[in-house]
Amino acid sequence: MRRARKLPLKDAWAIWFLLGVVMLNYPFMDIFNKSILILGIPLPILYFFIGWPISIFVVYLFSIYLGRDSDQPPPEQDQQTISQRKPE
Amino acid sequence: MISLKIVALVSLFYFGILFGVAYYADRQRKRGRSMIDNPSVYSLSLAVYCTSWTFYGSVGRAATTGIDFLTIYLGPTLIAFTWWFLLRKMVRISKEQNVTSIADFISSRYGKSPMLGAIVTVFAVLGIMPYIALQLKAVARSFDLLVNPLSTSNTLHVLPKFDLYFDSALVAALILGLFGVLFGARHLDTSGRHEGLVAAIALESVVKIVAFVAAGIFVTYGLFDGFTDIFHDFLVRFPEREHLLRLGTEKNSYAHWLAMTVISMMAVMFLPRQFHIMVIENCREEHIRKAMWRFPAYMFVINLFVIPIALAGLLLGNGDTHNADFFVLTLPLQYGQPWLAMLVFIGGFSASAGMVMVSSVALSTMILNHLVIPVILRFQSKAQNLSILLTNLKRAGIIVVILLGYIYYRFLGESAALVNIGLISFVAATQFAPAVIGGLYWRQATQRGATIGLVLGFIVWFYTLLIPSFVQSGWIGPEIVNQGLFGLAILRPTELFGLSGFDIWTHALFWTIFFNLGSYLAISLLTSPQEAEQEQVRKFVDVYSPIPVITEKTRITRAPSVIEFVDLMAKFIGEKPAHSAISDYLGDRDIDEKGSLSENELPKLKRFTELTLAGSVGAAPARIIVDNYLSARGSHMEDVFDLFGSINISRTASREQLSVLYDAARFVASGNDLQSILDDILKIFTEQFKFDLCVIRILDQDRQTLTVRSQSGMTSEHFGESERDLTLDTFIGETFLTNTMSVVNDSDFISKPQTAEIIRREKILSFAHAPIDVEGQPIGVISAFSRTAKGIFTAEFLELFSSLAGQVGVAFRNAEQTADLIAAKEQQRELEIAKNIQLSLLPTKIPEVAGIRLGGICIPAKEVGGDYYDYLCHDNGRLDLVIADVSGHNVGAALIMSEARTMIRSRSGKFSKPDELLRELNQFLYEDLTKAELFITLFYLQYQPDTRVVEYASAGHSPTLLWQAAQSQCLRLDPEGLIVGVKKDFFYEKDSYRLASGDVLLLYTDGLIEAENDHNEFFGEERLAELLRENHHLQPQELINYIVDQVRLFTGHQNFKDDVSMIVLLAE
Repeated sequence: MRRARKLPLKDAWAIWFLLGVVMLNYPFMDIFNKSILILGIPLPILYFFIGWPISIFVVYLFSIYLGRDSDQPPPEQDQQTISQRKPE
Repeated sequence: MISLKIVALVSLFYFGILFGVAYYADRQRKRGRSMIDNPSVYSLSLAVYCTSWTFYGSVGRAATTGIDFLTIYLGPTLIAFTWWFLLRKMVRISKEQNVTSIADFISSRYGKSPMLGAIVTVFAVLGIMPYIALQLKAVARSFDLLVNPLSTSNTLHVLPKFDLYFDSALVAALILGLFGVLFGARHLDTSGRHEGLVAAIALESVVKIVAFVAAGIFVTYGLFDGFTDIFHDFLVRFPEREHLLRLGTEKNSYAHWLAMTVISMMAVMFLPRQFHIMVIENCREEHIRKAMWRFPAYMFVINLFVIPIALAGLLLGNGDTHNADFFVLTLPLQYGQPWLAMLVFIGGFSASAGMVMVSSVALSTMILNHLVIPVILRFQSKAQNLSILLTNLKRAGIIVVILLGYIYYRFLGESAALVNIGLISFVAATQFAPAVIGGLYWRQATQRGATIGLVLGFIVWFYTLLIPSFVQSGWIGPEIVNQGLFGLAILRPTELFGLSGFDIWTHALFWTIFFNLGSYLAISLLTSPQEAEQEQVRKFVDVYSPIPVITEKTRITRAPSVIEFVDLMAKFIGEKPAHSAISDYLGDRDIDEKGSLSENELPKLKRFTELTLAGSVGAAPARIIVDNYLSARGSHMEDVFDLFGSINISRTASREQLSVLYDAARFVASGNDLQSILDDILKIFTEQFKFDLCVIRILDQDRQTLTVRSQSGMTSEHFGESERDLTLDTFIGETFLTNTMSVVNDSDFISKPQTAEIIRREKILSFAHAPIDVEGQPIGVISAFSRTAKGIFTAEFLELFSSLAGQVGVAFRNAEQTADLIAAKEQQRELEIAKNIQLSLLPTKIPEVAGIRLGGICIPAKEVGGDYYDYLCHDNGRLDLVIADVSGHNVGAALIMSEARTMIRSRSGKFSKPDELLRELNQFLYEDLTKAELFITLFYLQYQPDTRVVEYASAGHSPTLLWQAAQSQCLRLDPEGLIVGVKKDFFYEKDSYRLASGDVLLLYTDGLIEAENDHNEFFGEERLAELLRENHHLQPQELINYIVDQVRLFTGHQNFKDDVSMIVLLAE
């Protein structure tokens, strides 16, 4: 059952990617595109410099997940060190 | 202001460090250690993405157009989500296909098309030239500003003593070119990797982030009170420039924002230098996983202070944006921090140098492989060693690429801001995206689709971006932009087909991708992949699928030998790499006695040669090289007639094949007698594969010929049933002697005249022989002959054939083991009997005889020997001593000895002379000994107590030793006499001797003197005589024990190989 639960998460990159594209573009961006200062910093700037690290953190979590997953390589995608492969 | 001298010195020192690191990394690699084989170095090396454009240009952009510079980094952050799938797939393919560059990657994907490789190369060079120009501009300007903050544009410096004027951009170009050559083209590496270069790049990435962040902290906290202070001041002072912090403005529309995000996503993947550092220089796929977040984190940190520095520059410069690109350098300089400015300069130089080095190496590799080598192959293919020429050409390529960038800078670079120049290159790199991404996932994509898509994309790129930049620089008149090509408004480069309202980048991106992607999709759908492409589609799209066993459907006629392939490789990559490549390859392959590979291995070797060359010269040139070479020597690939369809044994073996192997295994396990197992196996094999004849020949040990044990199919007394001598003149003999398969797929080409004659007479078209071996030792040959087809012995079939031969071997081994087991049991029982008989022959007690003392011993060896000794006391007081050794170690020998003993015991009393007794014994045993093929050696001695005379005779036995106490010497008693059982009528010689007190006689068997030590030395008569001389005073039994101990010491073993027997007689 473990593998069955893993699969959707493994493809989650596509969702995160699309979510990122949406959140960084019109019209979503327009929500934050206002002349307001929050904590003395313009809102659009604040939005980027908070949203950006969050997205990096999501990639980080994703990479940790991948690392755990790659301890048990799925049969069709071995984690072989490719630099050591010899051409056949 | 910092003096020129200091700037030069510090820069030189920094170059020294960079070179030291690169040199060390290269040396480590030679020692088999890798400095760059870790995810941190990989992530840092990816930061070569952050060039001087990031370092200086972002600030300039933030100060002039606003926060759209962020897209250059947000795009890569987003695309990093896909890396584990997209980038990893590219890396996997590139490693497996030995890809050398993005041009090679695209060309390789679309059927190794040389034209596509050349097109990508030309576009890449054109596309990157502006980018290199940008770096040179940044280095030159920052240098100028550092030594003269008031300089406004490019100035010429003067070298005071030599009165020599120089342009700092040219100097920068030459220095960076030198770096490129030193790090990127010291030798032509077959793996295409440059560890030194990557290590230097990683170090530079550290330096540039440290420098930029240091400047940012100084500006934000040194000149202002943090972020909020800067924003507050800025909004108070320049409220009209608030748009710099907003989106959806005139200069910074949402469409522009989206376009920039897309462009940077593609650029980070497909700029030649990014592709090179991310894909070609990648050590392990695993590093991608960590780089996915580390690289974006790097970009985040380096961008943290861009806006504060830009706003601070505006605030402190009264809103002047003239030098906005260099705020990060000028602010510390103006506010009394020359050393910080120096650090910033070094950081900026690092950013430029990294980009220029990697780009020039990547581009020169592409130029060499896709533009130069095809020309060389046409004109210079006869040259012996091209590897040095190629290395020099690569070096020249690096310099040329950088100088092209310099020329662009001189003519166009002055007019445009850094970011604008960089974006031209970004849009160019984006043109590669459809061909690469489509090629990774879309099977239907064709070479023609990719080629036309790329060409159209680049034409539109040139027209919509380069032409306007030429106009801007004043290089060409403004008419084309204002009125359009040929005066057609619809063809205006910045409003193509009337598309207006977009900025130049969005406009260019839209039209380039429209034409590029549109024609790529449309033409791919309209055309179908050619054969060469289909092969590559599998290697790219299905790279994660298990590699199927390559079914060899082609063979090479007049194939070159291994050596010839090596020479071919050596010509391009140098001798040493070629030899090490081939030895890796040949490691575990079958090589025949002539040092060549089997016919089925040759197409694989051809592919390997191509792949190895591809690592140096790219896939398309490698294919041309190998194909040209083969056609020049009249070889060509031809299809093999495949009787069995596309079957292969390992994973998807056909039902027929599996059933044959299964049945064979069942027969072997059946426990039937060997003959019926062999017959059954051959029968099913012949029937299943429709062979005309199959034969199993087994070695006849005595006659040393291969004789037919089983046969199935047609009969012919001259052919199938005949025996074969063990000679290399026949294929069967050769198969047996070399223990390797022989295959002839076309009987028209047979190298052995003797075989050729038979084969032609029998109208055989193809045949194969496989050795049958038992634990590596050949015992026979299995053969299959076909009269119906040539070329039927494909690689996968031979695998089956070899397995079948293995089964036959197992059947033989089983049969042999059964026989051995029975024999061993019989032998063991026989040995026990023989041993019992022998032991029963030996005397149980030593007789007491006046005037002498006796001792005797018989130490049987592990296996039964044939020694015998005895004391015979007669009524007249005479004592006879006999010691004998019978050849043979079996019951027969024991019985003969028993017979001899009976005869001696019963008849010795009747013979007063030993020689007569020996003669009688010889005559008596002759018949039996001859029949049993045995013989006996024997020493017979009679002692008369009253006279103390011994008389003795010998039948070829070891001489008896006599210690003469009076003379203190050792004598050999060796009367002449033939071994018993050799000649029926023989007269033995007799000698006599009168014993004196203290004399010692030593009778023994050859097991004693032939006892051997580990150096293969015998104990020998000399040593024995010496022992006797020194120990003659001992009592007989003590003497015997002492001798036995000494012999054991000599041999170093407790047990003797042969029986050891002795009798000692001491005269009192």
